[in-house]
This record gives sequence, structure tokens and C-alpha cells, in this order.
Amino acid sequence: MKTENYDTVIVGGGISGLMAAIDLTRKGKRVAVVSKGDPVCCLSTGCIDILKGVDSPMESICDLPENHPYHLVGTGGIDRAAGLFLSVMEEAGLSYVGNTAQNRYILSPGGTRKQTALVPESMAHGDMEENETLNVITFKGMKDFFPGYVTAKFKNAEVYEFDPGIGSTLGIATKFDDPVFREAFVSWFKSQGISGGKIAMPAVLGTKPRVFGELARELDRKIFEIPTLPPSIPGLRMFKALKTCLQDSGVDLYWGRAVKSVEKDDDAIEAVTLAGMGRSTRIEGRSFILATGSFVSGGLYARQDGVVKESVFDLPAHVPGNRESWFGHNFFETGHGIEKAGIRVNKWFQPEDTGIPNLFVCGSILAFSETMKYGCGHGMAIATGVAAAEKCEEYLA
Amino acid sequence: MKTEFEHCIRCTLCVENCPVFRVDKDYPGPKQAGPDAVRFRAGNEAPVDEWVHKCAQCKRCDVACPYGVNPSELIQAAQVRYSEEHGKGLAATLFAGNYYLGLLGSLFAPVANAVTKNKGMKKLFRMLGISTYMTFPRFHFRTLSRSWRWKGDVKRKRKVVFFHGCYLDNNAPDLGRSMTGLLADLGIRVKVPRQVCCGVPALANGDLKQAKGFAAKNGSILAGYIDRGYDVIYSCTSCGNALTQEYPGVLDAPEGKKISENTYDIHEYILMLMEAGEINPDFAPLNKRVAYHIPCHLRSMGIGYPAAKLLRMIPGLTLHIHDDNCCGLSGSYGFKTKFEDNATQLGRIAGEAILERDPDLLISDCGACRMQLKHFTKLSTMDPTELLRLSLSNRP
Ligand SMILES: Cc1cc2nc3c(=O)[nH]c(=O)nc-3n(C[C@H](O)[C@H](O)[C@H](O)COP(=O)(O)OP(=O)(O)OC[C@H]3O[C@@H](n4cnc5c(N)ncnc54)[C@H](O)[C@@H]3O)c2cc1C
Repeated sequence: MKTENYDTVIVGGGISGLMAAIDLTRKGKRVAVVSKGDPVCCLSTGCIDILKGVDSPMESICDLPENHPYHLVGTGGIDRAAGLFLSVMEEAGLSYVGNTAQNRYILSPGGTRKQTALVPESMAHGDMEENETLNVITFKGMKDFFPGYVTAKFKNAEVYEFDPGIGSTLGIATKFDDPVFREAFVSWFKSQGISGGKIAMPAVLGTKPRVFGELARELDRKIFEIPTLPPSIPGLRMFKALKTCLQDSGVDLYWGRAVKSVEKDDDAIEAVTLAGMGRSTRIEGRSFILATGSFVSGGLYARQDGVVKESVFDLPAHVPGNRESWFGHNFFETGHGIEKAGIRVNKWFQPEDTGIPNLFVCGSILAFSETMKYGCGHGMAIATGVAAAEKCEEYLA
Repeated sequence: MKTEFEHCIRCTLCVENCPVFRVDKDYPGPKQAGPDAVRFRAGNEAPVDEWVHKCAQCKRCDVACPYGVNPSELIQAAQVRYSEEHGKGLAATLFAGNYYLGLLGSLFAPVANAVTKNKGMKKLFRMLGISTYMTFPRFHFRTLSRSWRWKGDVKRKRKVVFFHGCYLDNNAPDLGRSMTGLLADLGIRVKVPRQVCCGVPALANGDLKQAKGFAAKNGSILAGYIDRGYDVIYSCTSCGNALTQEYPGVLDAPEGKKISENTYDIHEYILMLMEAGEINPDFAPLNKRVAYHIPCHLRSMGIGYPAAKLLRMIPGLTLHIHDDNCCGLSGSYGFKTKFEDNATQLGRIAGEAILERDPDLLISDCGACRMQLKHFTKLSTMDPTELLRLSLSNRP
């Protein structure tokens, strides 16, 4: 068996674990990230929801139920984490607009206004009023975008179709990376005689960060992206920016293998071993951060008999009542009981009732986070990621 | 039949990672080609879609999937079945037997090199379905296996056998000798055992039977050495992926599990000995900006990037990891005219991403990746072990 030794081993490569890794690395710690697969943020809009349904997330955090994980971070901590996130994006050439004090809107693929806080530059102009004039550009053969949903919501909307030669979101975005293709697109655009108003396109304007800026300059109009169904290019851009940031700072990523077993010395976690075909890779650390996400990523799983399990360390998980009370009657309503399930932590982000001194937990696996109900997905993941990393640093010191 | 495909929730993370899907409008992507289509292939339904062969077996979908579905395995099974039912075609048949081509090529190296370079022959190659956008790798008569001597004296604690595979043996024997030299310099006794092709080219060209034949032969040879206290070392990451992942899996080699457990990436092995305190190499500074292209099959083994860890110990060296793109050649994939378009587009994409970071030098563990990316970036290329040797020999 082969052994690796780190200050901190982060289990789970979602936005929460990656932000924790970035924070620790910037403080000079030797960090490894282990992830079974790609995270949910690759499927997201790339917008950072902090708290929905309110004007100012920061002023309304105090109104959340007292066991919500945001209270463990505090508004100062949320701001610090958002600041770190924005600086990492900026370094990658992926500029964001917005701040934690004031929510804003983008245009959703259903033509509705989606409320969020931090928005990729490419969606900044998506804050549309119903009576504004909108020009939608769609792509021939594209299966994951339906301009009709959008135009139905606007009185003055026009649709134009461009043939990119490939129908998939990823394929079109790849084409936009190519300056020759962009040139052809720009000259087509200029030949259409598109009159006033903003220009909306599905989010396929390049897989690389800087493509949008260049296109906006070349078109010289107010253009913006509308997020699409997964696969989501803006989510992918954000994930790659986080990952590159870590790889440039020398963090070791172990991707594609789940943690298979855990070793303890008294109460402390000593090492994790990865699942694999042959010889196992054993990764030793002085401390560990659990960021394996909620049910969708497999951090938690629910059994038929109403038990919820945590999949790596077998931590006790909070279960919101019996199985009958887990789901509301309407699928599309939020606030299903099961959203409260997860790991309860103390104010140092250590799992409650376990006595494990060197394990910290962050992200959507935390109990009472109810990310759908409160619209706090990435925001909560980032804030608790950085906060757990800060507690972990105190422990290491 | 395996049922992992039932765990697919259609999240499209695999699709986001598929290089072929990015550039080929006629390939439906790993989700449809894998878990979706497998339902219709159950029982005696034959796969009727020739596009299954468009999958280059980079295994990026498997690495991305959080649910353990492994789309590439499902697609590979369909590729094998399709080939059995519809025939492989000439180019695929030739590349499946890459091992024999290599033997012939090296035995008649001057002739083979003249043939592969000849303009008139290029036309013939294209008629046979073999693409010619790059020149073929050169063949060498003094192969690694034909020029072999023991390295390192008998009393050394660590004994290893070196699995060089076809490329190092026939096309880059000097590099192979440099690798065994590196191990010997670090105090390890090295032997090059008798061996045949690892089986990957045969499997990739739809010939499971031939691949299993190679695996059976290597399996019994390597297991014999392991029983006598040797560890197995590879440098070619596709050979490594075969030995550690496919010998105990789809290729079902004798003692596959034993081989998998005792086989190491060359850098992984050096790191292990360093961590055990057995060796303590002293790296001299190298002031270079290095782009490290991670071969897809290193990525898919899930062992991290051991060479990167070693290279980061070299003072003055800046390392940029490039693991988001497949180089597009994917072994013999890009050498087939059918896939030439995909291969060249992917090569250009991977090359541009590398050039954006303005490196002095490009390294990769895989000879095929180096060849392809050298073509698309015009950078000078090296194997990671060459950089290590350079740094170690710089010490006064
Ligand atoms: C489709 C979709 C779209 C969304 N869109 C938005 C949006 O636009 N804006 C927003 O703010 N929020 C959005 N959300 C919510 C938000 O994405 C999540 O709440 C947040 O990203 C969760 O991050 P995380 O790091 O906690 O977990 P995850 O992203 O779930 O990451 C967990 C990681 O851990 C790994 N893992 C799991 N088990 C193991 C194991 N045993 N060993 C090793 N690794 C393991 C997984 O493979 C995964 O990579 C969306 C959610 C979904 C599902």
C-alpha cells in the first residue's frame, strides 16, 4: 500500500470542498482533494445564489431558522468567502458582477426572472423588464434551448437563427472558442440588420472564460447569455476555474475514486483509502474536511426503512421524521421535509456527537441547509467551505 | 449482466467530459451511447449503430460519473459486439495487431521507415483507411527488448521488471533505456522480461479475443516474477491502465488481481521508495515553464498524478497541469481516416490550451500524446522521466 501525507485531505470536489482547499492552500497548507466524480456546480448556471426571495441577502440572513448553517458562518464570514470566490474567478478571467448585499435578476431559460446574487459577466444584461425589446439568437439543431419559452414572456421579441454546424451545447460552445468561427458568426450577425434592444443567446459563448468579452466587443451590442438545461457551459467554466487555481498551487487531486475505507487512531481520523481495481491508494492527513454533498452526489443516501446514512465516515445523520413526512404532495414545491436531512455540526463545523477532533464538515451535506427552499445553493456551499477551512486551520495551528 | 447502468440519473456530467461529443455532431455522447442504449442491447439485441466506434475509450466519462456507471465499459462491450457481428475493417484489423506491425517494423526498420515516409505510400495508406496527417513514429532495429542487459547489482533490495509495451520497445528504445537507467541509478535492480503487447490496441479495435490472448501471456509471465519478489513497473499509461484495471477486469488475465496489486507507475514507485526513506534523490534546479499533458489513461486509473508530485520537487520548475483535454490521437484512433477529423480537431483544441500558458516545454507520459501534441503545438516534448534525469544529472 502506498501512503501520502497531507495537512488536510478534503473529501468531495464540489464548490464547497474546492473553496475550502483554496483557502487552506493560500495559508500554506499541503492539501489533497479526493472526489468520486464531478460535482453539481458543473450543471448549475454558474450564478451564486445566496438567499432568494429577499432584496438583500445580508440583511435577511438573521431571519433564517436558528439552526440554519449560515448562522455558524455569520455575515462577515459570508462576505469573506464571496470575496475569495470572486478573486479566484477574476484571476481566471471569469468576471462576475453583483454583491452579497443586493440580489439581482437574470433571464432564465423559461423566460422568467431568476433571482440570484453573484452573476457571471456574461449574464449581467439578463436583468430584463417585460416591456423591453429583446432579440433572441438561437442555433439550428440545438436541442437544449427553446426560444419560444423566452419570447412568450416579452411583447417585443424577435428570434434569429444561426447554423453553427453542430447541435449540442458543448459542440457550439467549442466552436465559439475558435476565432475563425466567431468571425463568421459576427459577419452573419451584422448582416441580419437586428434593430434596437438587447441580444440574448443560450449560454454557449465559448468554453473558455475570455470568449464572451471578445464577442461582446466584436458585436458592440448589449449581449447576454441565458443559462441552458444541463450540460451547462457557465457551470463548467466556473468549475474549471476553481480546479485550475488549485492545480496551479500544487494541490493534488484524486479524481474518479470514492473513499472506500477510513482509519482511525482513537477518535481522530488518520487516513482514507480509495476504491480501485488493484492496490489501494491510502491518503494520510492531519485533518479532514467532508464535502461530499447531499443525496444527488451521494454524500447522503436514504434507505427504504427511513434511515439516512452518511457515506464516507458513517457519521450520524439528522433525519427529519419518518419516511412519510419526507415529501410534500406537490413535487415542484420546495421545503420537502427531506431537505433538512444531513450532518449536524457544532460551531467549529465538527460533526456533533462523534468526538472526532480533526474532521470538519461543509456544503450541502449540512443538516437544515434546505438549499432549494431558501435558494442558497452555491452561497451556502462557499460560505461554509471557507468557514470550515478556517476552523481547520485553527485546529492545525 | 452488470446493472450499474441503472444508477444513471441522466445528469449529463459524462457528456460534459466527452471529447468526441464536443466535435462530432454524429456521436450521441456517452450517456446515450452507454447507459441509455444498453437497455436496447440487452439479451440478444445486436448493437446496430456503427457510431459506437466513434468512442475513443478515453474513459473521461467514467471519471466524471458520481454514480459508478462507467459508460466507457458499456460502450466498449458494444464496440466488441459490433465488430464481431459486422467485421472490423482493414485498418482496425491492422491496428489490433499493432504488436506484430511493431515486430515487423523494427526488424526491417530502414525499409519500414522509408515506406511510412514515402509519398506514394501515403495514398495507399489512405486507401486502406489509415490517416496520414502525421508521419508515423520511426521504427528502431535496436529495440529495448533486443538490446537488453540487467541493470543494478544482484544484492539490491528492490527488484523490478519493466513493462515497456510496444511504443518504447519499437519506437523509442533510447527513452526506454533511459528509464531503466533512472531506476538503476536510484538503486533498483531492473530486468526487462519477455513480454507481448498489453492488449489495449486489440481491445480498442474491437478484438477482445486477441486482447485476452495477449493478457493471458503477459499475465503468466508477470505473475511468475511477482511470486519471486519482483514488482512490475510501467511508464506507458495505457499499458498501465490495462495491467492494473483491465487484467483483473474485462481482459480476465490469469492472476489479474495479483498483477494489478503489484504493478506501479514508474513515478509512483519512486515516490513510494522516497516516502519509505529508502532513497533520497537530490533534485537540482531547472528553470523551465513546463506544460504537463495528462494522458487520459493516467487520469482514469485514479492514482493522482505521481510525476507531477516528483516534478514539483525540482526547484525553479513551474508546472501547469493540462488534464481537461484528450489529445485526440487516442492510440490508434486518430490513425484511422474515419476518425481523422475528430482527432485533428481535438489535437488543435488541446494544443491551443497548452500554448495559452506559454510553456518552454511540453511533457507527457504517453508517446502517442507527445507525438500528436508536438504536431499541433510545435513545442519540444519530453517524457517526465527525462526531466527527472536532467535534474538529477545537473547536480555537481
Ligand atoms: C441541477 C442543479 C442546478 C443548480 N443550480 C444552481 C445555481 O444556479 N446556483 C446556485 O447557487 N445553486 C445551484 N444549485 C445548488 C448547488 O449546486 C449545490 O447546492 C452546491 O453546488 C453543492 O455543493 P457541494 O460542494 O456541497 O456538493 P456537490 O457539488 O454535490 O459535490 C460533492 C462532491 O463529492 C463527491 N463525493 C460524493 N461522495 C463521495 C465519496 N464517497 N468519496 C469521494 N467523493 C465523493 C461527489 O462526486 C461530488 O463531486 C443547483 C443544483 C442542481 C442539482
